[in-house]
Amino acid sequence: MEFLEKMVTLFTKYNSFFSAGVANTIILALFTVLLGTVLGTLLAIMKLGKFAPTRWLANVYIEFIRGTPLMIQVMFLFYGLPMVGITFPSLPFISNSDRFMAGICAMSINSGAYVAEIIRSGIQAVDKGQTEAARSLGFKSGQTMRMVVLPQAIKNILPALGNEFVTVIKESSIVSVIGIADLMYQTNSVISTTYRSLAALAVAAIIYFIMTFVTSRLIAFAERKMANGTR
Amino acid sequence: MAQDELIVVKDLNKSFGKLHVLKDVNTSIRKGEVVAVIGPSGSGKSTFLRCLNLLEVPTSGHVFFEGVDICDKKTNIDLHRQKIGMVFQQFNLFNNMTVLKNITAAPVKIRKMDPKAAEEKALQLLDRVGLADKADSYPAQLSGGQKQRVAIVRALAMEPDVMLFDEPTSALDPEMVGEVLQVMKDLAAEGMTMVVVTHEMSFAREVSSRVVFMADGQIREDRPARELFADPHDDRLKDFLSKVLNL
Repeated sequence: MEFLEKMVTLFTKYNSFFSAGVANTIILALFTVLLGTVLGTLLAIMKLGKFAPTRWLANVYIEFIRGTPLMIQVMFLFYGLPMVGITFPSLPFISNSDRFMAGICAMSINSGAYVAEIIRSGIQAVDKGQTEAARSLGFKSGQTMRMVVLPQAIKNILPALGNEFVTVIKESSIVSVIGIADLMYQTNSVISTTYRSLAALAVAAIIYFIMTFVTSRLIAFAERKMANGTR
Repeated sequence: MAQDELIVVKDLNKSFGKLHVLKDVNTSIRKGEVVAVIGPSGSGKSTFLRCLNLLEVPTSGHVFFEGVDICDKKTNIDLHRQKIGMVFQQFNLFNNMTVLKNITAAPVKIRKMDPKAAEEKALQLLDRVGLADKADSYPAQLSGGQKQRVAIVRALAMEPDVMLFDEPTSALDPEMVGEVLQVMKDLAAEGMTMVVVTHEMSFAREVSSRVVFMADGQIREDRPARELFADPHDDRLKDFLSKVLNL
């Protein structure tokens, strides 16, 4: 009970810290999801394609990114790239834009690898007979993909993609290591001024949970809508 | 090549890795013929059928369809497939489309047929197989026998010159086999050229004009249905028939 009161007072007092953090986390997650999905789609197309070199490239990329920690990827982009002369530009009016861009890039590069696998497996899970039936009628492979395979693959892809979105929101807490003022970073600020680390962390956890829970409910809603349409 | 030969198969070979599935298969299908392909499982019947529209690409040899070598890389196979209807063991209706859409998709998108006309024709065909009331259903709402009848109609809607059937009744519950065979019998009676891989010996005996017996990737016997069943020559065929007919 006492702990709960501590949390409430902490939250009311440092409310501006937390809300600023939430805003930045949401911006980060939105851009990551968007860019990650584009990148993932591209990689999935490469991996499913007939051209061996691009298939190989996509494979190496996916395996490597999924096999190394996100934290290292983030640090590599923000601290490592400037050492070889590549820096993220500091835009006017947006504070810390270089940090943000590095963070979004690293997160997108990471998420893209996972999204690629989600899309690939979603497409491959569609029964081969569907493709064979379409081809036997005279449909070209592109038409078959568009009319028969993709509409069915979406239903496999969407739930897993929803999970990935939730993961992105949670994992975005890692970018605080390069000084992006996301929810985790702001929570640390609150801790360093109040020394109430447990209460602050609990508040942050609840906020993260609300964000992920709302996201997963939204995805579930979209899934149901889709199921109504075609089943 | 004789005038009325629709499909000619020449020295057809197919291997999957080290497995040699088809060994120098030679035969031809004439217009209006109903050819049943029988044989023990693993004999290459389905692979042979799937080579006829290149769902399976032969390792070597040639398949001529209406005089054109469809194994030639320069041949546009999509054009020829429009004239070769195929019915699968697992139906393979498009799950994301209604029955009507399943049937009209190819005529509208490929043949550029007027959607209204395509629908009318689809409904006519559905009526013929007794499924006009299922036009707006999704495949998941149909029984196996109904699915297979729709699948046959879907292939017919492209007005093919030949229909290939890959064990069309093998995935059906016994009580639904009859309704599908009836549709196929009607089709045969109308003069449709058909190649049917089947385990239904009664269909092979009564409906087909010719029976091809395959074993170990080779055609072991290829004769008119009546003769073949009355007086089988090949030892493997005798053995096979004694097993399937005494059930």
